[in-house]
Amino acid sequence: MKDRGKFGQAEAVVMLTMSGMARIFLPFPRHLAETAGEAAWISSLAGLALAMGQVYLLHLVLKPYPEGNIVDVTTGALGRVAGTAACLIYVSFFIAVAAVFTRTFSEALLVTALPRTPISVVSTGYVAMALLGAYMGLEAMARSARVTYPFVVAGMGILLFSLVPLWDFTGIFPLLGTGPAGVFVKGGILAGGMTEILLAAVIVQSFHGPGAFGRVVSRAMLMSFAYLALLELILLMTDSADVAREYTLPFYSLSRLIHLGRYFQRIESIFIIIWGYIGMVKIVLALYAAASVFAGAFRLPDQRPLIWPLALIIFTASLLPPDLPTTVKIESVYIRHLAWLPAVFLPAAVLAADRIRARRRKNEGS
Amino acid sequence: MKNILKNLVKIISYQPNPDRESFVLRENEYDRKAMQSGKKDEGRDSGRPGASGGNGDQPPGADDPGSGPAVQPGVSRRRPLRKAAKAGQKKDPDPEDGEGRVSSRLDRNRKKIEEIYGLPANRDIVLREFTLGTDPPLKAFMVYIDGLADRATQVRLLQDLMIFAGVPGPGAGKSASLIMKKMLPGSQVKLAETFEEVVYAVNYGDTAFFFDGSGSALVVETKGWDKRAVGRPETEQTVTGPQEAFVENLRSNTALIRRIVRSEKLYTEFFQVGTRIKSDAAVMYLKDLANPDLVAEVKRRISGVKADFVTDVGMLEQYIEDNPYNLNPQTMITEKPDRVAAALAEGRVAVLLSGSPFSLVVPVSMYTQLHTGEETYLRWQYGTFLRLIRNFSFYLALLLPGIYLSVSLYHQEMVPTELLLAIAGNRERVPFPTIIEMLLMEFSFELVREAGLRIPGIIGSTIGIVGALILGQAAVQANIVSPILVVLVAVTGLASFSIPSFSLAFSVRIYRFFYILMGALLGFYGITIGLFMQILLTANLKSFGMPYLAPSGPRTHPGLDVIYRLPLFLQRRRPDPLNPLDDVRASGDPRGWVDGKEGGHEGQG
Repeated sequence: MKDRGKFGQAEAVVMLTMSGMARIFLPFPRHLAETAGEAAWISSLAGLALAMGQVYLLHLVLKPYPEGNIVDVTTGALGRVAGTAACLIYVSFFIAVAAVFTRTFSEALLVTALPRTPISVVSTGYVAMALLGAYMGLEAMARSARVTYPFVVAGMGILLFSLVPLWDFTGIFPLLGTGPAGVFVKGGILAGGMTEILLAAVIVQSFHGPGAFGRVVSRAMLMSFAYLALLELILLMTDSADVAREYTLPFYSLSRLIHLGRYFQRIESIFIIIWGYIGMVKIVLALYAAASVFAGAFRLPDQRPLIWPLALIIFTASLLPPDLPTTVKIESVYIRHLAWLPAVFLPAAVLAADRIRARRRKNEGS
Repeated sequence: MKNILKNLVKIISYQPNPDRESFVLRENEYDRKAMQSGKKDEGRDSGRPGASGGNGDQPPGADDPGSGPAVQPGVSRRRPLRKAAKAGQKKDPDPEDGEGRVSSRLDRNRKKIEEIYGLPANRDIVLREFTLGTDPPLKAFMVYIDGLADRATQVRLLQDLMIFAGVPGPGAGKSASLIMKKMLPGSQVKLAETFEEVVYAVNYGDTAFFFDGSGSALVVETKGWDKRAVGRPETEQTVTGPQEAFVENLRSNTALIRRIVRSEKLYTEFFQVGTRIKSDAAVMYLKDLANPDLVAEVKRRISGVKADFVTDVGMLEQYIEDNPYNLNPQTMITEKPDRVAAALAEGRVAVLLSGSPFSLVVPVSMYTQLHTGEETYLRWQYGTFLRLIRNFSFYLALLLPGIYLSVSLYHQEMVPTELLLAIAGNRERVPFPTIIEMLLMEFSFELVREAGLRIPGIIGSTIGIVGALILGQAAVQANIVSPILVVLVAVTGLASFSIPSFSLAFSVRIYRFFYILMGALLGFYGITIGLFMQILLTANLKSFGMPYLAPSGPRTHPGLDVIYRLPLFLQRRRPDPLNPLDDVRASGDPRGWVDGKEGGHEGQG
């Protein structure tokens, strides 16, 4: 396998954070408001706890292999055939995530700014950038994420705090919203599934190896979930949970509400640059991870020849759903639930198999 | 057929990507250890293969490959003359081979010089024979190029030779060295054993003397061509700070730098660049500061240039930069010695070339290209203000026309109603789509700029201002463009002029057209695609191994002189991405008087 590129922990944290916060620009905050009501922001904290659990699980999986990543550990623990099959599940997961995000971001653009542009044109833009980003490699991606992050933070700050005049603290009461089960269990499960944890396990060798995995990914999760919780909080305070449930794109709808005098209003289009950019980062990383896992599973020396065909698959798959509601349904009903298989169950199986093998080797050795 | 098949298979089969990243400026184990122990010189000299011994004062490159003043150029690719081949004559001995040595017979040397320079047809070359009044008399001749050599120096030389002619005649084969020691005591004289050395020196304004019976020639420095005096900078004007600029003379330029950097650790190494027409390139760096890997890489790249002809650092830059296909400039070109001195003091390397009134500085980041040096001479508040204005204008120059197109074509809701109505009212009479309007104006602006540069003297500047005003006004009156567009293009133009690096401003001008197209095609989404591409390509770039967007991408020690220019006394570390041998500028407060101490000399790096 070719050198994947090296970058620092700061770049890794920022890149994973930006990828992890992509969902806050899509209909996801609305789902959370539907599930947890006025306590949607607390659900994101419950999701954070679950995500931290996943980070710990993958930390345990990767820890004994300082030179490996999740692909190496999976193929090593489950054997050649089962390991490759498991890696293909990872690949399918990343492809599905990339396709769904490509379609959702493209639809969001049609809704907000380009109503008369064909969806295929917008999707082509996303996939073309994904191709470029994945081809240039992780190092360039991480650096560009690091460079743009201050602008993202500034944009988020402007958006969230320009709404101060509209805040109404009664929006977050009752504090437990739809009740503990809805908030902590359903909401937590909905919010807790994060692609970036598995993604980090694939690219772990690029940021100082498994030793830094827990530190980097947990920081990225903290930051991603902080953005989610903050957005939910402001969404609930600006509009009530009932209004939030009606929004297709809550972030966009919030930005439409900004009105600070005659010349500082209706600036929602400016935010297209921020969320369009972050959407590209998300799709690039998913494509890169898919290509990287595929190359690793089949022991190919370089993942770059795979990028073009995989991008084509993502582009085609993104156009399969007939409309935005179907895409959202696929994402929330199928992918979010099935994601637990590659994100938790497979790594848990790998961990178990690896420990059994290790014990067997130890017994044979003694 | 076989080749076609082979190429087809090559196209459809997997080919590993070439590893283009040949050099990365990294901190290595040695650097880290040396920083800790504070014993860099000893460590480096003992630890690095090919390093110059244990004594830090020994000139670098004494045993480094590709260094030193006499780097051999690449093998000449000149074809042999057809005439010689037809006549069945022997091929001219190449000056680089063994037959190119100076003969002890004067007639042979004269014949050889005549052959090399094509005498007597070549009228610039002067070959003068004379006889020295020694006992016995010694026949000799001198050769020089009229116009390059200084007549007064030559007359003095000949006088010296005549005045000291009373000394006994030299022994066979030793006349040149004896004359050098006894008859030309005060001049810069050296012995040349080969015609290559002789020709190189003569082509550079020196005078060569050949003496009968001597197997070597004397080369005396008589350079004396007309040259421009050191003047004010013309492309990097500043209100404050030194007002000197480089000239075309290499030695004057190195002296200008050395006059500011008065340090025995300032090393100047010379290289010849150009296989057919040779130029001298000088690599300057502070031995105790610049990263040795960086210095070695600069020397490696310069000595690896096999171009036949390099006359300006702008050409040299294109041969040695990391990625020639990226729009961003990867070196800094400056005409100000004080900027070069400041760069050397940070651990960078400067490259000068004979005949070029500019210097290359490497490595640089994108942020360096937005600095002028003037901010340092101003108080930090003013400097920071200037930097912020300049950074803002960088984004304006890049994005303003594209954003205007996006807003007016796709995102009209952003514009307040009154302004929108005003814009629409003005646009009503314009028959073109906004994108055509914009391209027309931008093209006209570029035209005025180019014409203003090319038209000579005072007319040029007049046409620049008057042309722009008249064109804009007339275009509005003729309903070809709307007034707001004239304002927009003018502001964009002003913003692009405020970018100090000419090369960076060029890249911004080209990128701007790309953003205009993207904004017109897809609104803010198009701008996002453009930004994503540009940032990615720029983040992937390196300048002599240093990441181009450092210290923000990758994140390194941020420093206080990047986007802002915070107080000088707080800037206690050198730029981290350069990995200098000593990254501490001042370990304590440089204002030593604050604590009642004598001064801030303690612990300075």
